[in-house]
Amino acid sequence: GVFAHLEMLEVQAHEAAVKEEEKEREEEKLARLKARVEELRLRRDELQAKVDLQQKGQLGKEGVVSDPAQPSAQAVLQWKIKSVKAMLQVFYLTGISGKLTKRGVCFCISTAYEGTYLDSYYLDLLIKPEVQIHRHSIPIFIPLEQIAKKYLQTDIKRFLSVLSDHLNAYVGRRYQADQLQEHFSDQIEGTLQRNSLCNLLVFNYNVSSKSKTFLFNVRLLYGDLSCSLPTEVVISCTPDAPASLAETAAAHSELFRRVALHKAFRS
Amino acid sequence: MDEAVAEYIRRTVLKIPRDEIKMMLQKWGFLSETQLQTVNFHQIKDNISQDVVQLCEENSANIKQAAVLDIVYNHIYPNKRMWSVYQMNKTEEEMEFFDLTDFKKKFKRRLRSTLKNVTINFREYEDNAIWIRIAWGTPYTKPNQYKSSYVVYHSQTPYVFISASVLKSNLPLLCQALVVASNYHDIREMELRSHSLNSLKDIVFKRFTQNFQTYYPRPLQENKVAPESADLRIIQENRKEKEKIERLNREVFGDGPQPKLEFAQYKLETMFKSDPKMDVLDKREPFRCLVKFSSPHLLESLKSLSPAGLADAPLSPLLTCIPQKARNYFKIREKKCLFPGSFVSP
Repeated sequence: GVFAHLEMLEVQAHEAAVKEEEKEREEEKLARLKARVEELRLRRDELQAKVDLQQKGQLGKEGVVSDPAQPSAQAVLQWKIKSVKAMLQVFYLTGISGKLTKRGVCFCISTAYEGTYLDSYYLDLLIKPEVQIHRHSIPIFIPLEQIAKKYLQTDIKRFLSVLSDHLNAYVGRRYQADQLQEHFSDQIEGTLQRNSLCNLLVFNYNVSSKSKTFLFNVRLLYGDLSCSLPTEVVISCTPDAPASLAETAAAHSELFRRVALHKAFRS
Repeated sequence: MDEAVAEYIRRTVLKIPRDEIKMMLQKWGFLSETQLQTVNFHQIKDNISQDVVQLCEENSANIKQAAVLDIVYNHIYPNKRMWSVYQMNKTEEEMEFFDLTDFKKKFKRRLRSTLKNVTINFREYEDNAIWIRIAWGTPYTKPNQYKSSYVVYHSQTPYVFISASVLKSNLPLLCQALVVASNYHDIREMELRSHSLNSLKDIVFKRFTQNFQTYYPRPLQENKVAPESADLRIIQENRKEKEKIERLNREVFGDGPQPKLEFAQYKLETMFKSDPKMDVLDKREPFRCLVKFSSPHLLESLKSLSPAGLADAPLSPLLTCIPQKARNYFKIREKKCLFPGSFVSP
């Protein structure tokens, strides 16, 4: 009866007390964790401020935690990278640049003509067992195999220099022909006949003399593949042209031999 | 005007899609602008072709002029034909001035000396490509205009692209004329065929983007990175692997578009390597097998195999060497040495 009831009440009280204790402990734990979070947040803010300060210190000469007299290692590294990049840029601009690969070297030949940068061509060379061309992006009509046969094994510098001459001359001739077609198409009659290497150009153009226009036929042969000026110029005119034009033809012929094609037309 | 010519022009016009007919006739240049104005290009093709034939009648077209229209059509739609690549060799190292008139003269002379009944047309294009159309006849019949062969040649290169017609017997004649006209010694067929003429040119002229290592930052076409899913709950577990596969793929295939090939064929003549206990083949002779990969765009599909997870990167060099080696027909034989393996015949 009563005792059983009392016992029951005791048990209930005990349970309640245990629960109370647990709750207290939980709350304590929560408070501790909250405090820790606050602590960590503070620390993070501190470090962030430090980093910001240090960055600002590098840009401007404000008071910085580290010693300003000693540039940080990072700044030195950045300067080194910048100067190396500039050096590589210079090499690239000279026309021939290279990069070591796993099995050899990869060369890049950049071409230009009279201040205009034109295409770049690549050569992937293997060094072992002997120097050989692995891949390339040289146009098929450039006599690469011939030049390689002559110089690749013996004198790589000469090989690159000869190849570079050929490529530069080719783009130069192509540029002149393109410029001629673009800017002086009104003076040219019919089409400009050319070939892949641009080493033979045939076209007709108008020459006016004494208020009459005559047609000159020009045949430009570029005998030297590493040269962008023709080696042979043949100008012929229609049979009904006066003899005085022969002089003009000779003068033009001389001009074409000396001066770039589009410049000759400009004059 | 000849009945045959009229019929040929009519049939050629019928081949052209209706919207392109006017443009192609303009490119042809045989009919004047005023004449073209009189044609109604919105009626049905049958009627358009009849009108065009009428106009050609007025200008008295001959077969050579009609053939030029065929060249114009094939130049705009080269992918309707199957092209093979041929390579020429020469031993002399002297430099050639390629003279177009000289080339044409020699070619025609050589061909006509053996076969009188041929129609030969030349047409040059801006990219130094010379298109030659040849319609073949026999000593007793006139040339068959409907089964013409086409040759595309870029001056001063050793490669010729030929789309032969059904009449294969004329091929040696054609090859000989080409060799003589271009001052080479001999010619052989390469193991490279495709419908896409420009892709074949890209492969042999090395115009496709190869990945060269350089320091100079080339303008890289930024591969469109799929935007990170906005849902932060999705985490890419295999990001490193994916990036590695992308990198390997890019090293092999380069960044740009791949040349378009339709198939690659591998003829295997290797020994069947089986468990000796299985004893499948009693005779030790090569197991003949032909593997053919076909696709509307073979190289692009090979390029996407690894990123799609269908194959391991890097892919087998037998597949990736196709543009480098400029071939899509391979013969694989046993390596005759201590280590059993396979090698690709040259």
